[in-house]
Amino acid sequence: MTRAMTDPLYDKTGGEPELVALEAALGDFAHRAPLRELPPRRSRRPAPVVAAVIAAAALAALAVIVVGRRGDPGCQVAGAGFAFAVDGAPARCAGSPAERGTLPVGAWLETAGAATADVRIADIGHLTVFGDSRIRLIDTGAAGHRLELARGRIAARVTAPPRLFVVDTPVASAVDLGCAYELAVEPDGRTRLRVTSGAVSLEAHGVAAYAPMDTEVLAAPGRGPGTPVALTASAALRDAVARFDAGDRSAVAAIVVAAGPGDTATLWNLLARTDGEDRAAVFARLDALTPVPADISADAIRAGDREAIARWRDALVGRWMCAGCFGKSKR
Amino acid sequence: MDVREATVEQLVIAARDGQRAAFAALYERFHRVVHALALARVAACDAGDVVQDVFADAWHKLPRLRDPAAFPGWIAAIARHRAIDAARRRPVLDAAADLAIDPPPRLEAAAALRAIRALPDTYRETLIMRLVEGLSGPEIAAHTGMSPDSVRVHLHRGMKLLRERLGEGGER
Repeated sequence: MTRAMTDPLYDKTGGEPELVALEAALGDFAHRAPLRELPPRRSRRPAPVVAAVIAAAALAALAVIVVGRRGDPGCQVAGAGFAFAVDGAPARCAGSPAERGTLPVGAWLETAGAATADVRIADIGHLTVFGDSRIRLIDTGAAGHRLELARGRIAARVTAPPRLFVVDTPVASAVDLGCAYELAVEPDGRTRLRVTSGAVSLEAHGVAAYAPMDTEVLAAPGRGPGTPVALTASAALRDAVARFDAGDRSAVAAIVVAAGPGDTATLWNLLARTDGEDRAAVFARLDALTPVPADISADAIRAGDREAIARWRDALVGRWMCAGCFGKSKR
Repeated sequence: MDVREATVEQLVIAARDGQRAAFAALYERFHRVVHALALARVAACDAGDVVQDVFADAWHKLPRLRDPAAFPGWIAAIARHRAIDAARRRPVLDAAADLAIDPPPRLEAAAALRAIRALPDTYRETLIMRLVEGLSGPEIAAHTGMSPDSVRVHLHRGMKLLRERLGEGGER
């Protein structure tokens, strides 16, 4: 069979405009990340030591039973829990010094100032626990995984269906909707969520803040989750949102004035937190920035219909997740 | 051993013995193929994690790989398995998950990727290696164990289907 002299699709020669355009666009997805640090390789046990291993496992199991009876679960034995490895400084797991092991249900992992702990969240993701942090595994299983962050800071990256991974803080719960976020808890319990990819729902007292990529939200003691703001939000908008979250309903007018194309996530969240004329004003500003789709009733949204508001969010998600598609400030 | 000049077989043997530099060189040669196999099945924001999981898994299992020449097919099998598992946990439901990467891709890129994902397995994997990862046909053949003729056929048949899909749906 005689082939053409060049085959741009196969050889990457020549330059068919259609092919070049496709390559240029799809190249956005090309993989460029370096290899992450490799863990120590698991050694294969030679046959002569099998008996010793079994004996060690039995001793370890006995230790778990003894420790368990004292109400102090150990962290050195593989079992139900999250595997972890600590770097940089000491850490304590279940009250004992630990460099690596398994964080069992009920046990606390505490990191010192310069320590970072890499925690594997079952088979769905990773958690980095930064220094001066305290976390506890509350539950793990097929139905979901739940941690408590009492103080400090974590970064989570999760690949799982929405709502399968939850982190409780003293004032709210961060419910993963996928993919990555940072969560920090100050000594007084004040919680700051910053979403770096995907979306997270910060929930408490029956209130949920939907925080998409490149937004952050605060939750204060006694108040629950505040209103998400874009990382690029202006000082005027942040100030107005802080006043609104503190209970000053008159701040809605200032929010509406200060809100720009990058603040649609803030406005959308306010639809469920306002009523009457305030909601109408929020709706009008959001509709001016990103018109409500024709198949969603504007009246229903003004009336606070939760389903209609949720459908508008679904229509906005593509824009929120794609900051660069609309220019840096047009989210 | 100069890992830049070494053959895949030489790198596998060295990595099997615990040489991390050799394993890193294998990563450099194969991470794009593994990413393509993942991206064919999971959202862009998850595909990078699948790649890292595949290579972490491979690092542990490599001592059990008896035939170093089988590495391309072996790593691809791990990648498909991991990607299918990840897709089962979180299927690609909408474009948002493809857009949630840093830096974010263009909307038309996400639309084209969706159209490729709708193609049969064989075509979408090969097309993603070519159009997303920028591998040439001969490179795809060398890194997957497919024959050059098979790669050429898959690329052209896949591209024909892709043109039809993009034309029909106005995805671009």
